[in-house]
Amino acid sequence: MRLFRLTFATIFQRKAWVICLFAILVVPFALPMISTATEKPILMQPARIQAAWSTLWVCALIWGLFTASREGETNAKTGIGEYFQTTGMSPTRQLLEIWLAMLAFIVPLAIITGALCYFTTAPADAKERAMWLVLNAQYVALFLLVVAPLLALSTALASRFGGITGFAATLGLTLYGLYGVGYLDNMLKVDENPLMRSIWVFSPHYHFADLTQRLYFKSGALPMAGFWAMTLYFSGILAFYLGLSRLCFRTRAAA
Amino acid sequence: MKTKSAPSIHLDPGLEIGYGSPLARFGQGVTLAGGTHFLLARNGRGKTTLLRTLAKTLKPVAGNFRTEGFIQYLPEDLRFDPEITPAVIFKMLLHKDKVSAALDLAKRIELDTKKPYGRLSTGNRRKTNLVMAEFSVKTDRGNILLLDEPFSGLDAFARQAFEEIWKASSVNVLRLVSCHPDYDSMEMPSAIMLEGKSANHFQEQGQTWSSLKARMN
Repeated sequence: MRLFRLTFATIFQRKAWVICLFAILVVPFALPMISTATEKPILMQPARIQAAWSTLWVCALIWGLFTASREGETNAKTGIGEYFQTTGMSPTRQLLEIWLAMLAFIVPLAIITGALCYFTTAPADAKERAMWLVLNAQYVALFLLVVAPLLALSTALASRFGGITGFAATLGLTLYGLYGVGYLDNMLKVDENPLMRSIWVFSPHYHFADLTQRLYFKSGALPMAGFWAMTLYFSGILAFYLGLSRLCFRTRAAA
Repeated sequence: MKTKSAPSIHLDPGLEIGYGSPLARFGQGVTLAGGTHFLLARNGRGKTTLLRTLAKTLKPVAGNFRTEGFIQYLPEDLRFDPEITPAVIFKMLLHKDKVSAALDLAKRIELDTKKPYGRLSTGNRRKTNLVMAEFSVKTDRGNILLLDEPFSGLDAFARQAFEEIWKASSVNVLRLVSCHPDYDSMEMPSAIMLEGKSANHFQEQGQTWSSLKARMN
């Protein structure tokens, strides 16, 4: 796990993760104070929920994908990937170790957000509280299933095509999966088109993993059947992206 | 448990190296055992290509070779993240039993291990890379260290310190060192020379850069 340790230490040393941690701990409390929630205390909890999860998404998509792509590019361009390859560390293992180092930062941030959301916005009623716990846990799980393969893809694309491409492509893909797919669906409701319908079907429907509105409106936990179906769906995307990432990943930039 | 075996490199006659078209060809077979071997050639004649071929990150154009031992190829342009310090690099990459010895050597060769890598001079970055590679050597088996221009930017004192380490571990470690020697009396008892399109191995006790240079066009 030498590359994992080196990558982890590198990210740790850069300290940008501190800004993410600070944002995740402070924004959910600070942002509602400067919103209309101060005039209507009943809005304080929904505002906090929105702020907490939005901050996590922004941190993961901006800092997470950027860092993952930077690590992929650095590994290929600085000779580190080639060095490790000559010591017998395969490209698959290198990708895995860089990915795990990234996850070592993203997973705690997601858990902190889930815990913060649970402990500071949970309803008073015991039954609702139990459901609140389940919903937050489901959100953390689905969030990680969406973000984890994107980190691997970002690293792999950056190792082959450069950091900007790796970051921009995966950020664009995520935004499309979160919001673009919905717009496409609306367009198809107005004007049905078989080609666009096929694109919609095969698009990554990341919006399923965004449970902020469900928390916001206290809609309760996802039914377990639905949750497992989504888990399976996102696991499929994870497997596909990991395979794609391995195909793209390079340990040495083209000469 | 792995048994300790001597490191070796066998290059078959007819081995050709290059990127698509051959840069150099070994007319005769070459066998290298533990110890230090130099790789000499003018710029662009295939030193790095040969090292990469032996490190198995590049396929030979033709022919075969065999290696025995744990390989490390240290590219000339290897660089770590500018924010991390050599001390962190050693702690992350070396076995914990070797970290203190690596830090001791760093101190001896005046490498500031607390300074971020990006703020080190070229020579000190090279020292960091070399210390990392030297202390990554496996003690339970043979090792092959392929060093691409390890001396460029290195001060004479540090160079001497590394040459002492090389002498002390010559049985367990085979080092193939590409370099441009900077003094005529530099001893090179074993040297592979890439000249024109051919590659030859010159081996002789007391052989120096001065005598080898005469063979180079």
